[in-house]
Amino acid sequence: MANTTCFVRAAQLKELHEPKELLSLSKLRFLKGLARGAITEITGPRSSGRTSLALYILAQATQAGEVCAVVDLNNNFHPESAALAGVRLEQLIWVRCGGNAEHAIRAADLLLHAGGFGVVLLDLSEATPRVLNRLPISYWYRFRQAVEHTPTVFLVCATSSQCKSSSTKRIELKVKAFHWTGAAPFLLLRGIESEANLHKARAIQPQILSLVA
Amino acid sequence: MFACIHIPGEAALNSELLALAHEFSPEVEEAAVNAVLFSIDGLRKLIGSPYQIASEICRAGYARKLKGNLGIASNPDAALLLARNCTGVTLVTTGEEAEKLAPIPVTSLFAHKATLDSGLLEVLRRWGLKTCGDLAALPETGVAERLGNAGIYLQNLARGKIDRPLHIPAPVTNYEERMELEHPLDLLEPLLFLLGRALGELCKRLRSQSRAARILKARFTLEAHQLEAHQLEAHQEYQCELEFPVPLDESHTLLKLLQLHLERHPPEAPITAFVLRVEPAEPRRVQGGFFLPPTPPADKLQITLARIAGMVGKENAGTPQLLNTHRPDAFQMGALRVGGIENAETKEPRQQEVLRLAMRLFRPALQARVRVSESAPKNIVARGVKGNVIRAAGPWKTSGEWWASTSWIREEWDVVLDDGALYRIYREVETREWYLHGIYD
Repeated sequence: MANTTCFVRAAQLKELHEPKELLSLSKLRFLKGLARGAITEITGPRSSGRTSLALYILAQATQAGEVCAVVDLNNNFHPESAALAGVRLEQLIWVRCGGNAEHAIRAADLLLHAGGFGVVLLDLSEATPRVLNRLPISYWYRFRQAVEHTPTVFLVCATSSQCKSSSTKRIELKVKAFHWTGAAPFLLLRGIESEANLHKARAIQPQILSLVA
Repeated sequence: MFACIHIPGEAALNSELLALAHEFSPEVEEAAVNAVLFSIDGLRKLIGSPYQIASEICRAGYARKLKGNLGIASNPDAALLLARNCTGVTLVTTGEEAEKLAPIPVTSLFAHKATLDSGLLEVLRRWGLKTCGDLAALPETGVAERLGNAGIYLQNLARGKIDRPLHIPAPVTNYEERMELEHPLDLLEPLLFLLGRALGELCKRLRSQSRAARILKARFTLEAHQLEAHQLEAHQEYQCELEFPVPLDESHTLLKLLQLHLERHPPEAPITAFVLRVEPAEPRRVQGGFFLPPTPPADKLQITLARIAGMVGKENAGTPQLLNTHRPDAFQMGALRVGGIENAETKEPRQQEVLRLAMRLFRPALQARVRVSESAPKNIVARGVKGNVIRAAGPWKTSGEWWASTSWIREEWDVVLDDGALYRIYREVETREWYLHGIYD
């Protein structure tokens, strides 16, 4: 299946000047039930909250004392955002691959085989469809085998689903609205509202994620 | 039973004395200048009774032309006191120590233990005590009340009742292995075979001393005629130093890390000799727990990180550390502190009520062409990003570190493009150039 980037038309964006009531994350049932020893995908277009959600999961894991790793294909990881999200950076290994997809895949493979990690995040969010289409699907089977029977949550962030049948869950995010305060030209960004859909699991209603700037 | 040999008034005979003592026991304490202590318990089956052992020691001393005193007692301190204060051979059976020590002056107790307060000697003199027998005859409770712990110790010393093990200095271990090769080696595989053997020896020594390697230093001598003339001086030797976050004592882990280093930075010529040296440190001791979160095994993690660093570069794998500055994207990569992880307090994760909006940065920032209208950006074109601005917030002016080469002055904007994404762009005030800094995601 071809990789497609999900773009949201500007006209579809519902911009609100006043933020809605923030939903509690504890209501997001799928976050509590991230499967260990399995692959979970977070997909969505730019600004849909993929990174924020991944950092939230990393923060939960590192605060529980687990060691986590980020394999960053395009060197996009922002340590300051991670620290603000609550990630304990001293328990995080960051591998910058400089756009080399082969290095990213091999680094993720080495980390999964080393074992003992709480969360391993493979960030392919900024990878072009050309790069993603070159990744053989056998890699994802290999990853599924490597992570099986381990306590590791293997997260894959991308614009569209990559792991196909190898992942056990997929969280699809769609941007719904941007929140601003003030009147033009004196606007201030307050946050983003995204819709999260859970695939490959018990059907639940789409959840609204509020990302606060 | 312990024997003490003391040579009064002589100097620089310690080595002779030690050699004499080592003829009878491998464990010898250098109790004082020209005085050695050793156990004779193991000699009973070899030589016989304490009298025969004393006779044998005297014979060996005479053969070495040493003239001194020999004291044999059931504890080391009594043997030492007898050797230092009684001429010739003094042999005391168990239970007779107090009687034999009784005529020895009290002052010799203070010479025996230098750390004793000399004020006590003045007190004992005022009390009219001259010999060990006088001190031993005093009631214990009274001595304890008036002189405290030091008084009790002195009295027990005078009675010959202090039993202690010998203070044996730990042998100095050499953590170095060197090997001269008959033929120069230019392939890594046969070299690794030899390195593995040397590392195995080093690790065996480390484990025997309950130590582990913190730093591994390797020095390789290169074949001279394979080097260019200008390389001869600087590159006749190839050195590398591997520092481990967690001390290691497994030879195969050390070998793998050394192999990864040599594969990344191979020597420039065949190797004719090598020296491996490790710096010992306290090994890592971790109390595991059933409910503790899983952590990667330290040795496996180090090999994994070394492999990844070999692939993506050392500067691209590690732990991010934020710098104490307001400069955008200020961080440095550091080594993972495995010890810190294992000691990290594990607490129930704090449930956040909201998700913090994160950023993804373009490194380096993408140069952009921005069309500005009414002081606000209206259209942006950069590599991989193109669109009309449908909402913009800014400019937010930031600057800092004007005193350093890392200074910055910029105007930042948060813009929503018609591709549906929210970007941060900025304009350098000095150059008036626009850049795409990152994406809110």
